[in-house]
Amino acid sequence: MSENIIETNGLTRNYGDICALKPLDLQVPEGEWLSVMGHSGSGKSTLMNLVGGLDRPSAGSLRVGGKDLLALTEDGLARFRRESVGIIFQQHHMVPYLTAVENVMMAQYFHSVPDEAEARSALERVGLGHRLKNRPGELSGGEQQRVCIARAIINSPKLLLGDEPTGNLDHKSTIMVMELLKELRAEERFTVIMVTHNQEVAAWGDRTIYLDDGVLVREERTAG
Amino acid sequence: MNRRRWLLHIILRALGHRRGRTVLLLAVLAMASSLATALGIVSTSMEKRVAEEVRKYGANLIILPESARLDVGSGGLNFGVVSEPSYLLQQQVENSLAQSGLKAERSFHLRGALQMKAADIMVEGVNFADVRRLFPWWQLKGNWPAAGETVVGNDLATRLKLKPGDTMELTGKNQTVRLRISGIVSSGGEEDGLLFLALPELQQALGLEGQISLVRLMVTAGGDSLKKNAAALQLLLPTAKVSEVRQTARTSEGLLAKVKLLMIMVTAVVLISAGSSVAGTMSTTVLERSKEIGLMKAMGGTRSEVMLIFCGEAAMLGVVGGVAGYICGTVIAQFITKTVFASSAEFIPWFVFVSLGISLFLALLGSIGPMISVFKLDPVRSLRGE
Repeated sequence: MSENIIETNGLTRNYGDICALKPLDLQVPEGEWLSVMGHSGSGKSTLMNLVGGLDRPSAGSLRVGGKDLLALTEDGLARFRRESVGIIFQQHHMVPYLTAVENVMMAQYFHSVPDEAEARSALERVGLGHRLKNRPGELSGGEQQRVCIARAIINSPKLLLGDEPTGNLDHKSTIMVMELLKELRAEERFTVIMVTHNQEVAAWGDRTIYLDDGVLVREERTAG
Repeated sequence: MNRRRWLLHIILRALGHRRGRTVLLLAVLAMASSLATALGIVSTSMEKRVAEEVRKYGANLIILPESARLDVGSGGLNFGVVSEPSYLLQQQVENSLAQSGLKAERSFHLRGALQMKAADIMVEGVNFADVRRLFPWWQLKGNWPAAGETVVGNDLATRLKLKPGDTMELTGKNQTVRLRISGIVSSGGEEDGLLFLALPELQQALGLEGQISLVRLMVTAGGDSLKKNAAALQLLLPTAKVSEVRQTARTSEGLLAKVKLLMIMVTAVVLISAGSSVAGTMSTTVLERSKEIGLMKAMGGTRSEVMLIFCGEAAMLGVVGGVAGYICGTVIAQFITKTVFASSAEFIPWFVFVSLGISLFLALLGSIGPMISVFKLDPVRSLRGE
């Protein structure tokens, strides 16, 4: 039985009068691929932001990789993100004036030292060895998302977070990205939290939890 | 690639990406710093020029001994004023000048009469090096005197039919001196009727060792007015009379102060408008890039690390704008001084730091406000573009 990388107890997030996430108890074992499903406004992105140290909870406890995120300062959270977390967004969010390889090097810069050879090799791993010098505007949506995957894994994170990473992709690109993630996870052994509203994408995980109006309403293990 | 090189690389990339805005910001920064540089150079050049002009007028302060005066009269009749010659102690004057901290060129003089062939000749003892520095318009035929030599005023030379190479014997109260005439001097003033010899020689001949009858001062530096300097010196020399010689220096000083004030005001207006323009453009740029800031934070950049990138961009603009401003400012200063003052401006290398300072200050000041507001946002809100 592996240890839990994520442990929440009564985790809550309010935005003024609105409760985006109602007290949640959740454990995620190391190496698990957890899919988080729910409708828009169900609290799934809120959960991902809290787990990734991008946002702070209003109440409850939250431990990720043995660290109590509530005890960390602003800079402490930034260090936690660069050392332990890789994030893939639905909107890609790439630096527009940097090439594919430079976008990957940017993550290295905040982690330690930019290494072009390593960044190239990460892009080659995601099948973009021929698009190293292209800027985001010159890449397709699927290609941009693969750059983001390379950027997310370049610092060997313990936790990979995906906020609807295939939300803007067509079916073919979605399959390609999911297969790539599966392959990388098998090699790197990181834990995946994947937020999605696509049942087919959720099925790639080991377990799926369902949120509705900020409440965990159901969870199920994926068959096979 | 090391971190420093990478930082420089992304700064250049970011600036290159927004080429139009970068050029606009550079133009504003260069314009502001070039104007400040140009006016600074013009002002400095003018100050030097005015100082040189004032210098041409010679001494602007004189120190005379307060002579002992005696009203002579009998009954209701007044026969006039009898005054005895009086002198200043050279050492005392030197001490007072040192104490006042006054920056001035000085020349000590002793005037008296020596006899030549039973006739009195008015003689002035001076330090010839000081005379040459303070009275550059004196014209000399022959050479400035060495030890045992003298120069004779043009009128006196004509009257006594003296010429360079002649020797003369002059008798004073204490001793007789034999002098060779090395040159004939012409000043266009009362000096043309005098004979000049070295101050110590005359002091010895007259038995007035360490005493002088006149000090001429040319005040060239210091922000205070000539009148103020004269008053300060007067307090230190109560037995002397310190007076201003000419109004020219004071008038020039006043005019220069007014021109400088005008230049400072113009520069301030330009800097305020340039600062607002830079702040507006920088503000738009930073707000437009809030998603980029959010992304950098999401990747693990701390506030200070991300801010370093943005401040680096502002600093880069500041440096390039400052250097460009210095070059343009120097050219503008040349143009202004040539067309308005019909002279050439000084080349002042250290003004590059003034230009850089102004440009950097404007660039950083313009961007710091919007940066602080955007950097306060958490990464999620920044990524949403809030």
